Amino acid sequence: MPRMKLTRRSLLKGAGLLSAGTAVTFMGPWRHNRVYAAASDKPILIGLTSDASGQYANSGASDRRGMLMAIAEFNDRGGVLGRMVETLHVDTETTPATGSRAAERLISRNECAFLIGAVSSGVANAISQVAQKYGTVYLNTNSSSPTESGKNCHRVKFVWDGNGTNFAQAAVKNAINAYGTKWMLMTNDYVWGHNTSAATRTLVEQYGGEITDEILVPQGTRDFSAMLLKVQQGSPQVVAAAVGGDDQKAMRQQVAELGLGESMAWINNQQDWPDVYGLPLENLFGVFGTTWYWKLDLPGVAEFVQRYQAAYPDTRMRVPGNVFYNGYMATRELLSAVERAGSTNNRKVIQELEGLKVSAQDRMQHHDAWMNPATHQMQQTIYLATANSGTGDADDMFRMLSQSSPEEIRDTGADAACMMESLDETPSYEM
Amino acid sequence: MSHILPHLLNGLSLGLLFALIALGFMLIVSVMEVINLSHGSLFALGAYFALVVIDPDFAWLGSFGEAYRALPLPARYGLAFLIAPALVAVVGMGLEVCMRRTYGKKAEYGLLLTFGAALVIEETIRVLWGPSEQYLQVPRDISGAFLFGGLIYSKYKLYAALFAAIAIGLVWLFLERTPYGAIIKAGAHDSEMVRALGINLTRLRLLVFGLGAGLAGFAGIVLTPIWGLRPHVGIDAVIPAFLIIVLGGIGSFSGAVTGGILVGLAVGITGAYASDWSLLSMYLLLIAVVTVRARGLFGKKSVLEA
Amino acid sequence: MAPRQSFAGRWVPGEMALLFVLMATLPLWIGPVGLYQYLGIEIAIWMIYGLGYNLLLGYSGLPSFGHGAFFGIGAYAFGLFQLRVFESLWLGMVCAVVAAAVAGAFVACFLSHRRGIYFALLTIAFGQVFWFVSIKWHAVTGGEDGLLNIPRPALELGVISPALSTNADFFYFVLFVLAVVTVLLWRLVHSPFGKVLQAIRQNEERARFVGYNVWLFKWAAFTLSAAIAGLAGSLFSMAQQSAYPDVMSLHASGIIVMMTLIGGGFVSFWGPVIGVAVYFVARDVLGTLTETWLLWFGLVFVLAVIFKPEGIAGAWQEFTGAKGRHALARRAMAGLISAGRK
Repeated sequence: MPRMKLTRRSLLKGAGLLSAGTAVTFMGPWRHNRVYAAASDKPILIGLTSDASGQYANSGASDRRGMLMAIAEFNDRGGVLGRMVETLHVDTETTPATGSRAAERLISRNECAFLIGAVSSGVANAISQVAQKYGTVYLNTNSSSPTESGKNCHRVKFVWDGNGTNFAQAAVKNAINAYGTKWMLMTNDYVWGHNTSAATRTLVEQYGGEITDEILVPQGTRDFSAMLLKVQQGSPQVVAAAVGGDDQKAMRQQVAELGLGESMAWINNQQDWPDVYGLPLENLFGVFGTTWYWKLDLPGVAEFVQRYQAAYPDTRMRVPGNVFYNGYMATRELLSAVERAGSTNNRKVIQELEGLKVSAQDRMQHHDAWMNPATHQMQQTIYLATANSGTGDADDMFRMLSQSSPEEIRDTGADAACMMESLDETPSYEM
Repeated sequence: MSHILPHLLNGLSLGLLFALIALGFMLIVSVMEVINLSHGSLFALGAYFALVVIDPDFAWLGSFGEAYRALPLPARYGLAFLIAPALVAVVGMGLEVCMRRTYGKKAEYGLLLTFGAALVIEETIRVLWGPSEQYLQVPRDISGAFLFGGLIYSKYKLYAALFAAIAIGLVWLFLERTPYGAIIKAGAHDSEMVRALGINLTRLRLLVFGLGAGLAGFAGIVLTPIWGLRPHVGIDAVIPAFLIIVLGGIGSFSGAVTGGILVGLAVGITGAYASDWSLLSMYLLLIAVVTVRARGLFGKKSVLEA
Repeated sequence: MAPRQSFAGRWVPGEMALLFVLMATLPLWIGPVGLYQYLGIEIAIWMIYGLGYNLLLGYSGLPSFGHGAFFGIGAYAFGLFQLRVFESLWLGMVCAVVAAAVAGAFVACFLSHRRGIYFALLTIAFGQVFWFVSIKWHAVTGGEDGLLNIPRPALELGVISPALSTNADFFYFVLFVLAVVTVLLWRLVHSPFGKVLQAIRQNEERARFVGYNVWLFKWAAFTLSAAIAGLAGSLFSMAQQSAYPDVMSLHASGIIVMMTLIGGGFVSFWGPVIGVAVYFVARDVLGTLTETWLLWFGLVFVLAVIFKPEGIAGAWQEFTGAKGRHALARRAMAGLISAGRK
């Protein structure tokens, strides 16, 4: 509920801002190098494009809470460059076509300085294409498709989550050593699934393993019994599953029911915290990736969890997860970049973000992180985890298995796949 | 052969579940001539009501609530099977009352009203229970796995198929062996005739809609431990439901059951040998059948065609 | 429509003139009323889609619940033409219209001897098949990510070819297409062809007994409606500079039915136009006010179907005391019957 109030209040402020006549009515395209005569007290408006309905509504809400907490912290300290930060949220409905329209609206009608938020790669793509047209800096907080920082990268887009290739890099070599060389792939039959499985296949073959079969899972599959029988008939040592969204939720319930999680080794892609929170532990079968966990034994983590609990006392999710973390970190780094740049000028902010380095301590991760200027993906620590059975704390669901430094799990294909617009081709603005 | 047998059995159990999903949809479309697009939302609602019945977390229940929650899970689970579909039936009856103004008008209005109702129910679920994934507890005795012929099967799946078979059997008994069933069957063919016989059509419609909605809710409870539960789960139920009805033929009980089993076999077997086609297989099956037999396998002429 | 006989025969009746004036001046007032130019583009595109759709739903009484497929096919065909063949506005649009028409004609072969519920259900089935293919055939469609970076070609007018890259310029181009489609459809529904469609809607048996080849008329109406959806789709892929599978989903196909109905497509030519405008504006305004906007919109929709199933246009006709199309349809039927006897 507080989430709704926040949105409404910020909308009213946004509306007041517009009617006060501070902004020029939008009458056409951005022209290059326009500068808004920004009074130093004019708030900085940020458009939030997280999903509020559709398949990723739940993760979208968590994502947004992360952004709002980071923004509230800046505002408590007197804002950014002496200006308050305000937000406006538009529901992207987990639908690319709606994402496109939302981006057009936030940029051309509301004149947002920056856009933040995505869980689905389709939506992130759609938004970033519009954002690139206007030059608006956009943060893809939580979509983990390798294409986001590869084929579909953009000068204005920055990607903050680890991607499928990173997780495969972290998992494959260890799993071959621990469990064996006979692998089977379960691949969601769409672009993300194919990309992730292709990355896994390459690595498995590189380390001397063998893929005996690949089972394609159509998007929208709810009954996995036939496929799981097929997996048993093939009796692999390791099953690497690249199954996402609601399909994954149905699948893990059925794998758990059969106890297949114990009879063979399962490698899953990232398990987003909002998707697993509150479910029985059996559903967390096998090994999976994450970028952060609320019980990491690092300085600042416990205090961060307390801040979350103070900010969102009524939320069902009692502890923050990776989706919240990514939303928070991306927003915090953006606002810090604006402060360092001394301006909201998009080119200056882009350059600041391209040179971004965050110490392990500030990231609350085990290794220093840095933004790859060639792909605009945050290079960060990747953790492998499994279900944490045998604790009394219902919120303590993950047992961390290993951590890999950004160099170990680097998505080497991305640099070649990403053809980014030059900075000069990107329209500039200052809000 | 030994390889395909598990998939045939699996397809069969899947088919019974599909038939269960289609059952309530079949009743309503046969008697009421309404394509109930809110079938999926009622399906989801049944599962959410079951969540509440199994684990009611209300302060106002006081000590009764505590005593109730101390009951063993199988007892509360059994109660959920009775209470939750009944509650969904009440919702369904409410919807029927709203529909009354559309009777006698074009069939599209009924379809559109239920489309709107589907939106409203789904969004209400999202407001009341939140958007996140929920988990319906199942008693230990009927969950877990069992070994058969060297392969692991889900015990719950077997029970779910059994529940489906029981529900199908009960509906059949109701239609074939009770006076109300006879009226419903008559209504399926000719609502004018039912009225001419002096039967209270208003009450019949209310009953049928309640029964159809209750069956949707029941299917939701049975399927949730397999599919998982989220507010938009209904879309996964309503599409197979209409597909099976068209395949089997509108107004035909045996058509719905046969259609369900055919779809189950198609999905089960393609799932094993050409898994990327497993979802499309049901549509291709439908187009193939309907091209040859205009009204589906057992369909009779429907009032809706006029 | 309130078809006072004298209006029906005109090329540009009053309502149409009003629509054109409102739309032509839209770039001037859309900002000040708190909306934005891009929304105007989407509204104009969906009006084309809705007008074409209502040829089926309102005029022929054929409820298609899978029409998003043809909109999507148009979008993909346009995008593929630009990306794989060469950049051309007109040829791309022709390609989109032809692709959607061919798909529509093919589907119509399965549908045209169907009525009512079987018709509706088969359209859903075909719609799902196309949607499925658009996701599955990654090599061509780009899968669920869709086709990205579709160019918006310049307007080739022989001597000059102005760019359409700004939203305002592109809006005028869409408006031009909307005007052409509106005038042609208006003529069409008032032509003998349109009268036969209405007769089929009223009573298919009777139209058949009178001697019309009902199958052919239904087939033609479906194909034409699909072609217009494809045209709208091509404009949509230019507006978004992308083509996505989700415009083909059952949900999206249901939304166009909802828009057409809420506007009053059953009783008025202008139903879809009104419905599209109301839906887009409501979604935009409510969507930022509350996350549960779909709940409120659904409630209003349910109430509308219960109490005012003739939609906004129906309410307006009642308010102004116009008789509505039923009277016209009856007259059309009477005319047809007498014509058939001759």
